[in-house]
Amino acid sequence: MTDALVLEDLTKVFSKPAVDHLNLTVRAGELYALLGPNGAGKTTTLRMVAGLLKPTSGSIRVFGVDALADPSAAKQMIAWAPDEPMLYDRLNPMEYLEFVSGLWGVDPKEGRARAEALLKLLGLWDQRSQRCEAFSRGMKQKAALAGALIHEPRMLILDEPLTGLDAAVSRQVKDLLLERVQGGATVILTTHILEVAERMADRIGIIQNGRLLAEGTLTELRERAGERDGTLEDVFLELTGEAEAASA
Amino acid sequence: MIGRPGSTLWLLGHEIRLSWRGLIGGRRGRVRLAVLGILGVVFAIAGFPIALALQNFQMPVDPLSILAAAFACVVIFTLMVSQTLAGAADTLYARGDLDLLFSSPLNPRKTLTVRFASMAATAFTAFALLAVPLLIPLAIFGHWRWLSLLLVLGALAMAASGAGLAISVGLFAVIGPRRTRAAAQILAAIIGAAFFLISQTQTIFGRRSTGLWLQLMGAASDPRLRLPPGASWPLRAMLGEPLPLAAMLLVGAAIFFTVTAWLSRRFAADAASAQGADVGRRTVARGVAGAFVGGVFAATFVKELRLLTRDIALLAQVLLRVLYLLPVTFLLLRSAAGHQALALPGGAAAITFMAGQVGASLTWITVSAEEAPELLQCAPAASATVRSAKLLAGLAPLGLLLVIPLAIVTVAAPAAGLAATAGSICAAYAACLINAWYPTPGKRSDFLRRRRSGSILIGLAYFFVSALIAAATGLAAAMWLPLALIPATLAVVALLVLRRSPGRIAEALAAQS
Repeated sequence: MTDALVLEDLTKVFSKPAVDHLNLTVRAGELYALLGPNGAGKTTTLRMVAGLLKPTSGSIRVFGVDALADPSAAKQMIAWAPDEPMLYDRLNPMEYLEFVSGLWGVDPKEGRARAEALLKLLGLWDQRSQRCEAFSRGMKQKAALAGALIHEPRMLILDEPLTGLDAAVSRQVKDLLLERVQGGATVILTTHILEVAERMADRIGIIQNGRLLAEGTLTELRERAGERDGTLEDVFLELTGEAEAASA
Repeated sequence: MIGRPGSTLWLLGHEIRLSWRGLIGGRRGRVRLAVLGILGVVFAIAGFPIALALQNFQMPVDPLSILAAAFACVVIFTLMVSQTLAGAADTLYARGDLDLLFSSPLNPRKTLTVRFASMAATAFTAFALLAVPLLIPLAIFGHWRWLSLLLVLGALAMAASGAGLAISVGLFAVIGPRRTRAAAQILAAIIGAAFFLISQTQTIFGRRSTGLWLQLMGAASDPRLRLPPGASWPLRAMLGEPLPLAAMLLVGAAIFFTVTAWLSRRFAADAASAQGADVGRRTVARGVAGAFVGGVFAATFVKELRLLTRDIALLAQVLLRVLYLLPVTFLLLRSAAGHQALALPGGAAAITFMAGQVGASLTWITVSAEEAPELLQCAPAASATVRSAKLLAGLAPLGLLLVIPLAIVTVAAPAAGLAATAGSICAAYAACLINAWYPTPGKRSDFLRRRRSGSILIGLAYFFVSALIAAATGLAAAMWLPLALIPATLAVVALLVLRRSPGRIAEALAAQS
């Protein structure tokens, strides 16, 4: 089976390297959590995969498609949901979904049916005629998530999807992501809420200073860190602390 | 920072620092400052011959001068009110750091007084910058007392700031938080346009207005005219007489401090309740009932039209510029009735010019003021298709607006109408191209600020290309076709020089982000 995402020697240099020869593989149909301290290069990496940033060097393959050579084909399979929802304040959720499905070339009838299903699933159906400017943060996140799902992406990339959400909305979003993974989609997410990664992720990658520090299941990471009964937080702090000490 | 932390002086220093950094921040700010400096020197040099000519002139304190000075004060005051009113509305809604300041132990009244003082300073600076290049040579050549005009401007700015605050609080109480911002912005724009229309009375009313002005001047010059006591004080203050000057400063300061002391508590409460109050309007979506529109172009076009029509304040600010077309329309109507040979081509040129200017604003909103740029970047849609849809959506309201003036010209003279229609399309399209080649991403709410802070060179490019196409249109309407080719060719050359490849546009956008 083709891997969902393959990054080879991916590098992005601003004034200094933000992502430094990163090699990473995400398998199709898994939920992959990308963790790292602030400024580790997580968001930069995902923005390059989503086609929002041009890498300085390296390659990105999305389901076998070279995303740098054929960005349109790669984007067709990807949905990007950043921590700040990409919404229009003066559109209502239905109009927003109409626009997004138009951008991804979804059949108009099919798009409308999917929009209705998504809004009902996410509990926004009653607010479908209300402009997004009146929405709470959680409602905005849900509307943006509906936008990310309307074209049924094969790979869903989420940057801090649970930040600022209350417990009920957070549960709703987590359930939806797991449901998509069970349906065959690949989900890559970054989060600072390590319990989320611990409970949800099939595999976890930890990056620091733009490089992959460790990768594997929670059990594998525990072994690597020598924290057999430790939580992901213990493992994370141990591994990133070690790396920091080594580089100092 | 000057002053004790938390003091009025310290807060004022904070406001001035932010304003100053906003003015000169970045490369664009330095260019802006350099251009302003050069223009200042040029105007100052031009002011010397005028000052030399006025060296021995003594301003008479007669009814005509008194009325002229009073009229100037009214005009400046009203324009300052429009400026501070828009500023007050912005403070209510685009609060910036107001939440931080209100959450601090500082007295909200003090915070707001300083903010309004800063607005008064901004209004003063705008007019003082215009006056200083002439006042300095005048002062050098003996009229140093006329520098007191700056103090009069200061007094007017303080009074105008108080008035702006009072009107915004009044609007808030009468029409509610949701409509106050739009109303304040539209009112401010109407005030500006109204003065332009007054200045164009001769164009609008023809010889009748000349007669009216002559009658007014005659009445003002009549020695039997008795003006109310104190009417001469604005003039005397401008000429540097201490008592009237002190009185004007006192009145200005009294209005400012009384209104801010009286209304700042109310304004602070309004500012708190304005948060989120202008949102939440319920609308029924067209797309809810039926199938979605299909395809990138249609989806983008529909989305842009929806966003444009739902931001009434912004649309009004752009379209109110069409009021500036009124004098031309009247000129057309009169000249068409009188069969004047050159009037219609002039009107055709003016319509073309305005089409370029309004088209530039509308397409900036649709192209550059994109709220979710990353959504478009990560979509598999061709950027050229998205851009075309945005440009067309931006031009749609302009098309509706131009129908009537173009119809008037066409009925009066079909050839001129044809030229005006073609010219308007070309000017609007040229503005579109410049917008597409030089995108300056920004928020819709920054539309007015963009006009003040955008690239000067791009602003000049809009102006000159529109002017060249307008000149070509006018000459073509007058049937001087060979001559029309000259500005038309120059416009094409200018566009070829300005042209940017998609790669360079992407690089420029990346550099800006």
